[in-house]
Amino acid sequence: MSVSPPRRIAYTGEVSRKGYRMSKFFVGLTEEANRTVFKADPEAAMQRAGLTEFEKGLIRERDFLGMLDHGVAIYALGKAGGSMGLSLMEIGARMRGETVEQFLATRPLNRQQS
Amino acid sequence: MARIVGGIGSSHAPSIAFAWDAGHRDRPEWKPFFDAYDPVKDWMAALRPDTVVVIYNDHFNRFRLDTYPTFALGCADLMPVADEGRGKRPLPDVPGNSDLSWHLSRSLVADEFDITMCQEMALDHGVMSILPLVTDAPWKVKVVPLAVNVILHPLPSVRRCWKLGEALARGIASFPADERVVVMATGGLSHQLQGADFGFLNPEWDEEFLDRVEKDPESLLDMTHDELMDRGGAEGVEVIMWLAMRGALRGPQRRIQRNYWAPVLTGYGLLALEPDASGN
Repeated sequence: MSVSPPRRIAYTGEVSRKGYRMSKFFVGLTEEANRTVFKADPEAAMQRAGLTEFEKGLIRERDFLGMLDHGVAIYALGKAGGSMGLSLMEIGARMRGETVEQFLATRPLNRQQS
Repeated sequence: MARIVGGIGSSHAPSIAFAWDAGHRDRPEWKPFFDAYDPVKDWMAALRPDTVVVIYNDHFNRFRLDTYPTFALGCADLMPVADEGRGKRPLPDVPGNSDLSWHLSRSLVADEFDITMCQEMALDHGVMSILPLVTDAPWKVKVVPLAVNVILHPLPSVRRCWKLGEALARGIASFPADERVVVMATGGLSHQLQGADFGFLNPEWDEEFLDRVEKDPESLLDMTHDELMDRGGAEGVEVIMWLAMRGALRGPQRRIQRNYWAPVLTGYGLLALEPDASGN
């Protein structure tokens, strides 16, 4: 049984440049002080980071696929999840258009048990 | 003279760190994974390495997108564990080996690897999801971290990583102190985190990779990043770091451990090799 290749994604400099401001904002959330500000008043934190209305909308909607399309690095999304109370798996399930339960049902661990 | 006494390839993941810290090692999705590290930890205890050189990638915890080095060597005597965005882990700071690091810096640059030298090196799950699985805290070994760019394309080629491993071995061999060194690479195996194919796994490729990296690593050196990503997913390209570890091991190797477990998100691979004294 051969597995079909996934959609090919390479995070290039050009892609990175488009999402640079958002990636930088999310990576800043590795500092406790920035997490505190973001959790208390996300609008003020986004304003201070100079995000555009489009970028703020992606964050308000938790549109992670949209953020990736906008050039945000996957590991920056992981840090955003830390301040949004979302695990990497919850972010991933959203990118697939699934609930976590739907996603987990497709996993080898659960397929073996069923 | 310093010498390499063992090599380890292992996947890394934030979820491994969470499971470890939360005490989930006996849960069904984790038990086959964590159990496989026990013989490696025993072997490490018997090997008594002074230093582990860890070839890994950072995930914006030391390097950010403003400055992203292709190869970066930690040259510090104490390194903190990074806060990756969800708070600090309950692990002690990690001792480094700056004498060896500066020696390796000179040796690698003389060998045409123009590495970035880092006197501060917060260590993220690229090192710290695996270190507690192969040696106990408080840390008895020193760590020399060697970070490789596997995130922001263009990435170094597979062959370049192999040559880095060869150069690393030359640098270790020319270090005048009597040091026992283990070279460990982390990353892979198949996984894709980015986009609608989140959760992509390819156990068939992962088992093939484990075979070839052990027995015929040079057969992998001409693979392109696109080929690696087609077979192992976008983040599966991290396996290029295993070739750097493998390039550092010369001559026949005895296999100490091999394990594969792909329960949910990532194909977790583990391989431990020891230079076979009888074959040299």
